[in-house]
Amino acid sequence: MLRDPLFAALFWSAVTIGCYAAARLVARRWRSWWTSPLLLTPVAVGIVALSLHTGYADYIRGTHWLVLMMGPATVAFAIPIYEQRALIRRQWPVLLVGVLVGSTLAMSTAFLLADLLGLSHTLQLSLMPRSTSTPFAMSVSSDIGGLPDLTAVFVIVTGICGAALGELVMKLMPLRSSLARGALFGMGAHGAGVARAHQIGGEEGSIAGLVMVLAGLFNVLMAPVVAALMA
Amino acid sequence: MLRNMLRSMGVTLHRSMILQIAVLAGFWAVGEATVRLTHLPLPGGIVGMVVVLTLLGTGHIRPAVVRRGAGWLLAEMLLFFVPAVMAILDHGELMGLVGLKIAAVILAGTVMVMGGTALTVDLCYRWRMRASAPEAGHAA
Repeated sequence: MLRDPLFAALFWSAVTIGCYAAARLVARRWRSWWTSPLLLTPVAVGIVALSLHTGYADYIRGTHWLVLMMGPATVAFAIPIYEQRALIRRQWPVLLVGVLVGSTLAMSTAFLLADLLGLSHTLQLSLMPRSTSTPFAMSVSSDIGGLPDLTAVFVIVTGICGAALGELVMKLMPLRSSLARGALFGMGAHGAGVARAHQIGGEEGSIAGLVMVLAGLFNVLMAPVVAALMA
Repeated sequence: MLRNMLRSMGVTLHRSMILQIAVLAGFWAVGEATVRLTHLPLPGGIVGMVVVLTLLGTGHIRPAVVRRGAGWLLAEMLLFFVPAVMAILDHGELMGLVGLKIAAVILAGTVMVMGGTALTVDLCYRWRMRASAPEAGHAA
C-alpha cells in the first residue's frame, strides 16, 4: 500500500499531523520542556517510520508540502512586526546591535565548541548556522560547505533547547526590557523561540520575530565572508 | 454593483481564516517568483514578508484582512518544522557519542547566545534610555 505515492503522501501527512495534534494535547496537559511538540512529534513519527522501514527520502516526498507551509508562515510575521512598528522605530539600533552580537556568538561558539570536542569539519560547518530559522540556515550551510539537511536537524534541536532553556536564562538575568526578553528568544531559538516568546507577551513575541528575521538576513549576507574564513 | 461585490468579498475575507491563509500563501508565491527571477540570495518567504510590510505601511491593506490567518500560521508553525527533523532517519551515525557531543555544542552554544544577546540588548537599552533623558522613560 505504501508503494503507491498518493497513498504514501496521505499516510505520512496524516501520521505527522496526527502525532502533532496528540503532542499538542500532551503539551497542554503537562507543561514541561520534554512535552514540547517539537520533541514529541518527531519521536513519535520516527517510531512509526522505523517500524515500517521507511527512510527519509520516502517520508519527505509525501510531507514536503508541510515544509513549504513555512513560506506563508514567514510572510505571516509581517503582521506582529507591523503592529509593533512604533517600538521598533524607536529601538532599532538596540535590536541591530543585539543581532550583530548574537549572530557572531552563535557562529563562534559553534565553531569553538565543535573544535574543542573534536567533531569533524563538516559537522562543525553544519552546526554554525543553527541559530537562524530553517530556510536561512540551510542556505548558509550550503554556502559555507556544511550539509544542509543536517543543519536543518541542528536548527530544530536548537529550537527545542532554546524554547526550553529560554525562561531559565531569562530568570537568571536581571532583564528590564521586553526588548531584551524578545531578542533572547528570537536570536537563541528562532521560530520555536518566537512561538514561546508570544506566550510570554505580545511585545516579546513581535521583537523575537523581528530579531529572528534580522538574524537570518545578517547570516545570509555574512555567509560569503564566513566561507572565506573557513576555507 | 462592482463596489458592492468588492465589499462583500472583503467581508468574506475578514471572516474566513482559510482565505486569509491563501492570501498569505499568494504573497509567498510572489516572493518565491521574485527570488527565482532576480536570483536574490533570500528565501521567498522573506521577500513576501517585506512586500506585505510595505503594503501595510503604505495603507494598501489593513492588518485585519489577514490577522486571523497569520495568527493560525504562527501558532501552528512548529508542525512545519517536523518533516525536516526526520532527516535524522538517514543519519544513524549521530545516535552515539557524536550525537551527544553535538547536543552539548548546541546546548552550551544556545545558552551563550541567549545570555549574550539579551545582556547586550538590555545594556544598550538602559544606556540609550539614560542618554535620551527622562521624557522617553517608559519606552518598552
